[in-house]
Amino acid sequence: MEPYSHEKHKQHAFDSFCKKILKNEALNYSSELNRQREREVSLSELSAQEMDMLFSMDKYPSEIFSFSVLNFDVEVNDERIGEALAALPEEKRDIILLHYFLGMTDGEIGNKLNLLRSSVQQKRTRALRKLEKFMEGKA
Amino acid sequence: MGKRKSAKSRLLPFPVIAAAASGDVDAINAVLKHYEGYIIALSTRRLYDEYGRSYLCVDEGLRRRLETKLITKILTFDVA
Repeated sequence: MEPYSHEKHKQHAFDSFCKKILKNEALNYSSELNRQREREVSLSELSAQEMDMLFSMDKYPSEIFSFSVLNFDVEVNDERIGEALAALPEEKRDIILLHYFLGMTDGEIGNKLNLLRSSVQQKRTRALRKLEKFMEGKA
Repeated sequence: MGKRKSAKSRLLPFPVIAAAASGDVDAINAVLKHYEGYIIALSTRRLYDEYGRSYLCVDEGLRRRLETKLITKILTFDVA
């Protein structure tokens, strides 16, 4: 009777073993699906901001306009502004760069370039006009 | 047969279990056949269309996955 009951026991054990495996695997599958559903977003439902995070623009040295003023290197990424700045005379360009890209005041620029504050301001205003003309002429 | 399912038909015979656990292909197929109904029941999903009508549909991916899992696990069953 002993071997018989052992076999019987194994038959039941195998049956429950198989059913447990199948049931657990099915549960794994559905929790994986749920996980995926939580994290997955349709491309068409992305906000514009999220869409912007999906790509990056390459930077090429040829597209960057680089100017050096005093001891600073200033890089300008925008092609139109870069070209317009390159077209300015050097002194005016320096003033624009120092003021708008490095955030210096007219007084500070005057000290660096040995100019009066008021003449820096005047040159800066004229340089802006010139830039405006140049860019409008191009556009 | 008095009952729809006798005890004999619900359990696999011991020799088949022993053979399947040791890797016998025919025995493994017999085990898969035995649990086919349960596997299909587990892989059946209820799907809804845009009008809210529901359909029952067997997820073939899940069915295959359950079969594969069962096969790999049968081989680890301790018969002794």
